[in-house]
Amino acid sequence: MGIWDYQVVAAILFMIGVLGVLTRRNIIVMFMCIELMLNAANLSLISFSRLWGNLDGQIFVFMVIVVAAVEVAVGLAIMISLVRNRDTVNIEDTSLLKW
Amino acid sequence: MMPNLDLSAISPMIFVAVGAILLPLLEVLLARMIERRRSWLGRTVNREMASTAIVIFTVLLLVLALLRTVGTFDLPVAHFNLDHPMIAVDQLTRFLNAVLLISAILTVLVSSRYLADIGMDHGEFYALLLASLLGMMLLGAATDLIMLFLALELMSIPIYALAGFQRSSLKSNESALKYFIIGSFASALLLYGCALLYGATGTVELAEIARGFDPENPLTLLGAALVLVGFAFKIASVPFHQWAPDVYEGAPTTVTGFMATAVKVAAFGALIRVVAVGLQPGAEIMYGVFWWLAVLSMTVGNVMAIIQQNTKRMLAYSSVAHGGYMLVGICVGTQSGYAGLLFYLLVYTFMTIGAFTVLAILTRDGREVSRIDDLAGLHETHPFAAIVMTLCMFSLAGIPPLAGFWGKWYLLTGAVERATAIGDTSLIVLAVVLVMNSAISLAYYLRLPVVMYMREARGADRPDATAGALQTTVLWVCALAIVLIGVVPGDFLILFGDYDLIASARVAASAVSP
Repeated sequence: MGIWDYQVVAAILFMIGVLGVLTRRNIIVMFMCIELMLNAANLSLISFSRLWGNLDGQIFVFMVIVVAAVEVAVGLAIMISLVRNRDTVNIEDTSLLKW
Repeated sequence: MMPNLDLSAISPMIFVAVGAILLPLLEVLLARMIERRRSWLGRTVNREMASTAIVIFTVLLLVLALLRTVGTFDLPVAHFNLDHPMIAVDQLTRFLNAVLLISAILTVLVSSRYLADIGMDHGEFYALLLASLLGMMLLGAATDLIMLFLALELMSIPIYALAGFQRSSLKSNESALKYFIIGSFASALLLYGCALLYGATGTVELAEIARGFDPENPLTLLGAALVLVGFAFKIASVPFHQWAPDVYEGAPTTVTGFMATAVKVAAFGALIRVVAVGLQPGAEIMYGVFWWLAVLSMTVGNVMAIIQQNTKRMLAYSSVAHGGYMLVGICVGTQSGYAGLLFYLLVYTFMTIGAFTVLAILTRDGREVSRIDDLAGLHETHPFAAIVMTLCMFSLAGIPPLAGFWGKWYLLTGAVERATAIGDTSLIVLAVVLVMNSAISLAYYLRLPVVMYMREARGADRPDATAGALQTTVLWVCALAIVLIGVVPGDFLILFGDYDLIASARVAASAVSP
């Protein structure tokens, strides 16, 4: 597989992530789709790193992995505080704030 | 090989980082002292003493960082790591850091009393605030896509937690959740944009990206577009603004004030650097995008603000509109355009923090004064808060001679100068739209003074305001800043030496402008 095959896979993963965030209504699934987008970007960075023969892309990926872990920690904490107050993980039930 | 590090270049950031790390430890230590009934200076440690100690410690660190930043303003560009310059501490960085630190200091001073009022007086609030502030300071300084992304996340993640800080409140939960989903979605878009830019140019340094930038290459264009969309989400520019009113309304009031000011300052600072350095060769293509973003943000923000009944939502739409005004500076894209934008950020910080401080003061026993009509009769119950609110509203609307007028003035002159220099009528159109929008905005900004001064308070709903000493201080600072910057926009702060704010903004802008 060449570098552009990896790019195509990354682009497809990224699109699945974007569509998932826009169409799904379960907060956990939306959150997983965001993680999918981050990982698509990682795949893209790694294969570009190979293309250009420098390490910048790979260093970037390490940073992104750390950031993704931090996001999980904070995101799940936010969701737990919501579930404690109101027993739902559906984004359409959280509609106190509108207009 | 020893790395060639210069710690003094980032000393203000080190102060903030030290605070973010030490504050949770201090909180635990104090909680233990309360539990064990230890005494200090002859008095048993109680909750009030503990929170006072935490506030003093935080403010001390922030003031030290601010003094250091202002004191080193005129020094040449400094880099933390000369071999791999990921952070550039130039005049732009220092100017942004000063504004960010001012915003953080004011927020901390208001928050101590406000947090006690909503029953959430925990020390980790300040730790999260400082962590986020550190991210903002680094964001304005980042000259490298890796640093840019890391700083953006360090800024955003603590803010998600702060938005949901009032754990027992459903509104606060919902606000945090929406901000979290939208914010991380925007970050992921920006990250993929960074990946594509890296793929197109083979480097993550902004200056190198500019060298490898090829407007014909679809990879470059897509990457740049995704990065800009990510930023548009962060600065809540129409059509990526839907989250802002919900998040601003649900978050604790002082956090909203911090979000509305500091996040905008940092994101615009980074946007200036990205647009003026990294994507400079694509300026002509981006001009059209920014033109539309600016026009839409101004118009939609102002029109939507008119129909709001909730004060915080109204201010949220107003901040969307102000984001549009600031984008005019990006459209102009010259030194005077960026200088106008930077000056506007400073002025906007004082006006917005002032308005949110009044709202924070009116919160009693966890009950917020949410509807605009609830402010009726404020001039009787708390005349000073009513005066400051009126000043902030007039200044946001851009009525001379207050500070907000000069903010718009410099943006407009920048746009007109540039338009006459290159003979471009679209910039003139933009300037006209800005002026028209300022007129529209009067409709809702003047509504608050009318309600506060011309309507009687209704029995049970009288706004009950007893501001703490620190909160009154913040009101004074905001009011004085709005009036003083307005009356002497040229050489403001004569007390602190010959310090010319707009000239400083020009110097700061020259750090990146071509």
